[in-house]
Amino acid sequence: MNSPDVIVIGAGVVGASCALALTNAGLRVLIIDRGPVASGTSGAGEGNILVSDKEPSPELTLALRSRNAWFEVNEDIGGGFELDGKGGVVISRSETGIAGLKKLAKAQRENGIDAREVNAAELRKLEPHISPTIEYGVYYPQDAQCQPMLAAAQMIRAVKKRGGKFVQGENVIAINSKNGQLTGLTTNKNTYSSPIVLNATGTWAGDIAKLAGSYLPIAPRRGFILVTVPAPELIFHKVYDADYVANIASGEADLQSSAVVEGTASGTILIGASRERVGFKSEFEIPILRQLAQQAISVFPILKELQLLRAYRGFRPYAPDHLPVIGEDGNISGLWHAAGHEGAGIVLAPATAELITAEILGKTPFMDPTPFSPKRFMNQNPSAGVNVAS
Amino acid sequence: MKPEPARVVVVGGGPAGLSAALNAALSGASVLLIDSSSRLGGQYWRHLPETWLEQSELHLDLDTGLLLISAVANHPKIEIWSGAEIWSATHEDGAATLRLITNGVEKIITTKALVLATGAYDRTLPFPGWDIPGVMTPGGAQSLIKGNGIAVGKRVVVAGSGPFLLPVAAGLAQVGCEVIELLEANSPLRWLKSLPTLIQNLSKIGEAAHYIAIFNRFGVRPKFNRAVVAAHANQDGELESVSIAKIDSNFKIKKIERVKCDVAAIGWGFTADTSLAGALLLKQLVTKDEGVAVLVDENQESSIAGIFAAGEITGIGGSELSIAEGVIAGLAAAKYIGCKAEISNNHHKTRAKKQKFAKALISSYPVKSGWQSWLTDETIICRCEEVKYSKLKFAVTELGATDSRTAKLLSRCGMGMCQGRICGRFVVDLVANESGISPSDISEKERISVGNRPIITPISIELLANGE
Repeated sequence: MNSPDVIVIGAGVVGASCALALTNAGLRVLIIDRGPVASGTSGAGEGNILVSDKEPSPELTLALRSRNAWFEVNEDIGGGFELDGKGGVVISRSETGIAGLKKLAKAQRENGIDAREVNAAELRKLEPHISPTIEYGVYYPQDAQCQPMLAAAQMIRAVKKRGGKFVQGENVIAINSKNGQLTGLTTNKNTYSSPIVLNATGTWAGDIAKLAGSYLPIAPRRGFILVTVPAPELIFHKVYDADYVANIASGEADLQSSAVVEGTASGTILIGASRERVGFKSEFEIPILRQLAQQAISVFPILKELQLLRAYRGFRPYAPDHLPVIGEDGNISGLWHAAGHEGAGIVLAPATAELITAEILGKTPFMDPTPFSPKRFMNQNPSAGVNVAS
Repeated sequence: MKPEPARVVVVGGGPAGLSAALNAALSGASVLLIDSSSRLGGQYWRHLPETWLEQSELHLDLDTGLLLISAVANHPKIEIWSGAEIWSATHEDGAATLRLITNGVEKIITTKALVLATGAYDRTLPFPGWDIPGVMTPGGAQSLIKGNGIAVGKRVVVAGSGPFLLPVAAGLAQVGCEVIELLEANSPLRWLKSLPTLIQNLSKIGEAAHYIAIFNRFGVRPKFNRAVVAAHANQDGELESVSIAKIDSNFKIKKIERVKCDVAAIGWGFTADTSLAGALLLKQLVTKDEGVAVLVDENQESSIAGIFAAGEITGIGGSELSIAEGVIAGLAAAKYIGCKAEISNNHHKTRAKKQKFAKALISSYPVKSGWQSWLTDETIICRCEEVKYSKLKFAVTELGATDSRTAKLLSRCGMGMCQGRICGRFVVDLVANESGISPSDISEKERISVGNRPIITPISIELLANGE
């Protein structure tokens, strides 16, 4: 397939979701990745499908649709990626934190989110092992979880079965265009022609935009996750400290972390989440691991008794305004972007794919995509953007 | 963190580590020897309680070991931390930092001079039934004999490949097991090819003669070109019999017979334990037996100045080579911190001789890819996570994995308690085969990265949280 209808660059969850939606819409799709499936950020996260961590905003509208879209995708491709509508619990211990959480939950309820305030007794019914110091929380039945690598792999498997193609191990070295109209791309091994190229390369999306002669200010934000040894089921929901919501929205470079704890289908417990702007720095930093362990124990003292089996880190792609970048490039016609979802790439992927598909086909999308448009960066100075990433 | 005194830190209490510690101390260095086991000696000299008199019968050079252990244990300049598990190691600004757990407490040490002698463990290959209780590695069988002096079973089959099968079979016979089969997968002709090198290592020839005498006494007759290709359980789920196959030179099955037994000790040589070296980002290379080894220079110094490596982690070669390397590493580390230590030509010559012998051995006992044909879809590949071969193949053929990392994350092979120590090495070969990549085209990076674990050994979340 050297001249498909659309080329998707990036075999992560966002690229795979878009490829699936485009294929289902009748287009012939070629996916290209320099590495194997989900070898970037999708393979280094927790599989969050959260609506709870978003304030009423266009992103929340996108997340709400996307959460349901995940269950439709699950149905469509026959599962196989551990999708679990387990629900989330957000807790807070400080007076100001509780007040903020109450306010957030109220605003979320007004925007269609099921957000139920729970007292100490109800909290213990949801999470028997939660710390006795925690007396207030909000329960979000819509929050869910999946295994993101399997999700990407299973969606790409479906794309291939439905006539699409996945080429791995090819590095895109040029985006080709003629008279301002995109004509295809060249990898280190082949040249492919296509009227549409979708850039779904996440943290590396700025590099692809640059290759095409355009500009996207996407930078990495590093996050560590701890994995415990497999344990009997101790934690039943995704449980996190309300500070996590504040951290996501922060533009600070310094390390921020707050407890995010959940079990997985395999019995291990995942402990997150840290965020810091340090570029692609890959060293394991012990103080961060220690801080994550301390915070997790403060929410679930029982975790003291478990052992840390491994730890991993990933780089979340984010734009300066912390909104994803979804839509056609402002400079190059035929170049599209679906990137910069930060820590919400998994939850937002299927709805992102719906927006992209509708716009490419010239149909009316389910929501106004303007807030996510790449065109919002058109008037920015490209040299300033390079510094963001370094 | 308070500044540490100038000293040499040695990790590993086996032949290489003991030799390094002793030679560094004899050169005037203060030495800290860290060992994960509760007693010194490593896997090789895992000796019996001193009251057990016949122990030297079980182990030819136990005397060397006991002398070395006692010299190290009694040396005033050597401090020993036994039962200490290093969970994290980093290197920054010319010093290594080791974080370890000993007696339930975390300790953090930094050192400018570090000797890694972390040894090796049994190399395993999967086959149908290898997870049945009663199937074990030769190293596992030997530590049961040497640690407890007990017979591990009544009717025992020893199989696989490599010279290590001989002492294990001899040891099992001596503690009262009936060794009904001793099976070497390779042909005896391979031995002949390396005969000139073997003759130069007369001590080893003497060793072989010693085992042959034991086998004659107990009626054990070694057979070649044979392998255990399946194990079968009784109603209680314990080992009842094994399928023994006559195999061709590529390990493909020619003919099978069933043999009743209650223990099968099966091993295919050794895999170096490079977790600590990997955490320190030392350069590693792929060896001739497709294992991984730490790259060292002529003075056993790794790619990072001040970090030395000796013994099995620089290439599998047995105890005598480990000792020769350990001596050099200990002297070089002492010299690195300013002690007077001389590494002579003789040191290098002794090591070169042992290296030549090790090389000859490795080419005598290759593991051929035909073993993959012993597997069925139902065969467990990852024992920790109970992943079947069919699931690993699905990750490759359906989910698109072409490298072992992706296959691991999509199938959970190697994601369990042992973190791929058992299955990691052969999963690389299985994934390559399934993806149509020939064994010689598997990248060095692919083989090396299997042994890399930022968390070297599990640590309690509480200790992690309470640490500095």
